[in-house]
Amino acid sequence: MGKSQNGENLGTDGVSDGGDEKNNPDELSSEPCFKFDQILKDVDQFIEKFDSGENNFTCIDQFLEMVDSEIAAYELREASAKFGLNMEEDASFFEVVKRLSTIIRRLEELPSDSGAASCVNRAGSAHHRAMLLSESEFRTLLDLNMDRNEGDPRSKTEEEFPYFSTESIAIMNQIASTMIFAGYEAECCIAYSGLRLKALDAELSKLSFENINVDDAERMSWESLEVEIGNWIHIMRHCTNNLFSSERMLCNSVFSEHPSIAQRLFCELATSLTMRLLNFPNALVLPRQYSTEKLFKFLDIYEALLDLNNMEIGNNLSAKEFVSETSMVQCRIGETAVSIFSQLENSIESDNAGRIPVAGGAVHPLTRYTMNYLKYACEYKDTLEQVFQKHNEMEELTVDKVPENYTEKDDRCLQASPFALKLMKVMDLLDANIEMKSKLYRSHSLRYIFLMNNGRYILQKIKESTDIYDMLGHSWSRKRTSELRRYHKLYQRETWSNVLQTISHEGVQVNGKVSKTILKERFKNFNALFDEILKTQSTWVVSDGQLKSELRVSISSVMIPAYRSFVGRFQSYFDNSKQAGKYIKYQPEDIEELIEQLFEGNTTSMVRR
Amino acid sequence: MPSTDYQGSSSPLTNLGRSFLPLRRDQVHSMESPIGGSPSNEAELESFQRQVADRFHDLASVPSDELLSLPWVRKLIDAFLCCQEEFRVILFNNRTPVKKPPMDRLIADYNERAVKALDVCNAIRDGIEQIRQWQKLIEIVLCALGGDNNSYQRSLGEGQFRRARKALVDLAIAMLDEKDSGQALAHRNRSFGRHNNSSSHSKDHHHRSLGHFRSLSWSVSRSWSAARQLQAIGNNLAVPRGNEVLATNGLAMPVYTMGSVLLFVMWALVAAIPCQDRGLQVHFNFPRQFPWAAPIISLHERILEESKKRDRKNACGLLREIYQMEKCSRLLGELADSVQFPLNEEKEKEVKQRVNELKQVSDAMKEDLEPLEKQVREVFHRIVRNRTEGLDSL
Repeated sequence: MGKSQNGENLGTDGVSDGGDEKNNPDELSSEPCFKFDQILKDVDQFIEKFDSGENNFTCIDQFLEMVDSEIAAYELREASAKFGLNMEEDASFFEVVKRLSTIIRRLEELPSDSGAASCVNRAGSAHHRAMLLSESEFRTLLDLNMDRNEGDPRSKTEEEFPYFSTESIAIMNQIASTMIFAGYEAECCIAYSGLRLKALDAELSKLSFENINVDDAERMSWESLEVEIGNWIHIMRHCTNNLFSSERMLCNSVFSEHPSIAQRLFCELATSLTMRLLNFPNALVLPRQYSTEKLFKFLDIYEALLDLNNMEIGNNLSAKEFVSETSMVQCRIGETAVSIFSQLENSIESDNAGRIPVAGGAVHPLTRYTMNYLKYACEYKDTLEQVFQKHNEMEELTVDKVPENYTEKDDRCLQASPFALKLMKVMDLLDANIEMKSKLYRSHSLRYIFLMNNGRYILQKIKESTDIYDMLGHSWSRKRTSELRRYHKLYQRETWSNVLQTISHEGVQVNGKVSKTILKERFKNFNALFDEILKTQSTWVVSDGQLKSELRVSISSVMIPAYRSFVGRFQSYFDNSKQAGKYIKYQPEDIEELIEQLFEGNTTSMVRR
Repeated sequence: MPSTDYQGSSSPLTNLGRSFLPLRRDQVHSMESPIGGSPSNEAELESFQRQVADRFHDLASVPSDELLSLPWVRKLIDAFLCCQEEFRVILFNNRTPVKKPPMDRLIADYNERAVKALDVCNAIRDGIEQIRQWQKLIEIVLCALGGDNNSYQRSLGEGQFRRARKALVDLAIAMLDEKDSGQALAHRNRSFGRHNNSSSHSKDHHHRSLGHFRSLSWSVSRSWSAARQLQAIGNNLAVPRGNEVLATNGLAMPVYTMGSVLLFVMWALVAAIPCQDRGLQVHFNFPRQFPWAAPIISLHERILEESKKRDRKNACGLLREIYQMEKCSRLLGELADSVQFPLNEEKEKEVKQRVNELKQVSDAMKEDLEPLEKQVREVFHRIVRNRTEGLDSL
């Protein structure tokens, strides 16, 4: 049934007497284009002039006949292809249906005895038929496109919606508007929600999402959980980056004339989907022994939830559910992260490794682990700040007591964030632990080497990460550095002061004369002490190159001149070179060389000479 | 005979043996000496038993038309939440003994049961969502037949009847479909989606893919079974032995009580609300010495009886409103089918009457479904919270 471009030829203004030019009923099918417009005009008039008391329903009857045949024509067409063949035709169909809706509303206002009964009835039947047709086609379009897309070679970048053609969407839009106008909003929304939910479910399945029961999750091994977590995060990202926004767009496109309906439908869909996704993290927060390195997975989950929560999905009831459920899980995951991180403190405190000190005073594995852990953790600094801030708020703590070894001058400390304070606490514990471990060394020298090694390592690691450095504060680093210097001095004194005494110029003379006995004694002592140091301390380890050279340099700078001057001054007092050679084991150059062997971590057999 | 009348006993010491050791009479003799718990501890434990009993007496004393109604179910969950809260307080007040064996094992057992209940909560929420979908269909019927608030006194035309009938048929199918497992339904939905070509199939297709995609396995895995889960919750739920009670200073009792309450409440929820693989054959064995045992057993019996009634045998859920919804919609459907146009006054009156009945059910559901869902969520969250808290303090 087509329409001509200019079908008007009679009663153009529509304001004539009664407005109905009754054509011969037999000629209904002839000149359909004129007739169509005329009927519409009559109907419009009828609607307008409705309250004038006298209503002639004949034009309605004519209209209804026309409607009936139009509907029949569309019904005959194949499903999923009912609309879209002729845009104008479709547009006119929807217009007609809309008019029908209006007529019915008007007619229903009439008292039941106005003789409109049969008219109403007929109109109502036609109306319902039209709605059936529309709904069925709506469903087919929504559903069919889903299936068709599997293996669809059409490039997705062309289309705004990968699964629907712009045509389909336009048609669905029309149908939706018509149905809603007709008072069939419920049917329309039920169909839409149901089919979209089905589509979203299929989407999730494609991403290998499967429901995991809380019960089952609790029993899974960490290895399996890790895989699921990875998958979950991937899916979450897909949701927040793509799925939700394209779904919203679809809602807005199909229900473009009804933004509040679009909003509500999207909100419900998003919430339904989210509830399903939140089950997994809820299962993860149930108590389990999570070792410290699991922290990062939880922070990843937290961040995914944060992104989800930040999506503005709306204001209605289901949106509130969405926000509250997501926030709750997010909070719990945050708490889990806090407790995992806090385990670090426990593991540091309880680490005493069977009271056996690390060989050679090297950097302790705990130091390495802790510092690397903190460094990695600070890559999640913002998230951790947030998590600890939240934790603090929940525990209603005021600003934590500032750790004692900070001066009041460091303002940053007093305003330190909860996470920064936590960090400082960890550092303090580590320090205390290192201090305790250093006491296991019987040799004081080794003790200081150990303290220097570990202290140095810590300092280096801090400097490598601006985040940690900033959180701990500048004065913290300065304090550390000066402490290292102190240990250095202590080491020097402890190890080398005795040696220096053997090559002191004082006390060599007796009664103004150089005593050969004393000299011999001195050299013997020097050699013994030096050999001992060499033997022992070459096996010690200073892994930090700079520290190592600093140590050697400071030793050399003291020892070599002292030895050189001693030897230079007193070697002539020996009887001959043979005797001298017996007591003067080392030349100054030798000393220099040998000092270079210190702290190499060599085994004794590797010590030269 | 060890009495159960210690609600209001005046001398805690002499009743000590009875309040904490609901043993057989011969066993009472060998345990006459006081347990040795602190007086406040005893009072606390006794009060707990009493509170639980009171609540369930309340729930059990309703007439049969109130049993398993939405308000009743809500009351049931409320009762559960209260019991749980009190239980939590008891554990908190007895933090130290709770860490010691055998109490730690008993608590761990309870916690496992509670975790299993989490999945039940999720499944129940899916069921509530299903009911909501049915509710939407009913609203269409009401809208079509003038049962909604903005209906004029118009006469009902054929079109409206057709609309109502379509919705009623959809509703009937939807309610029937839930008896299949969610899996079968899902498969059927998918397969029907593919075969849609000619319009002759479209009606079928239309019915099958009726937006019931929020199926009963939306939140739980496809193989999950409510029946199995209930059995797991009730697994090894045994009355504490005398030595256990002694060793735990009486604390074993509230643990057992809470476990029993959990089992019953979950069971009742599964009985009432549609969920995946809804089986009610769980072994209940609560010794009558406990003051709460009688009401719970009575409720259990009554609910079981209801489930066996002829017209409720195949119900997808025993919720009273589901029954009413099904009945009203069926009657209305039959009426609508039998109607000839134009309607005579008598028929029209009949229709309006049925519509009103349906409206009443619908209104009742509208009011209570949302809060019910919230409550179920609350149960979920409380259980999680208690578990995560537990770790901190234990």
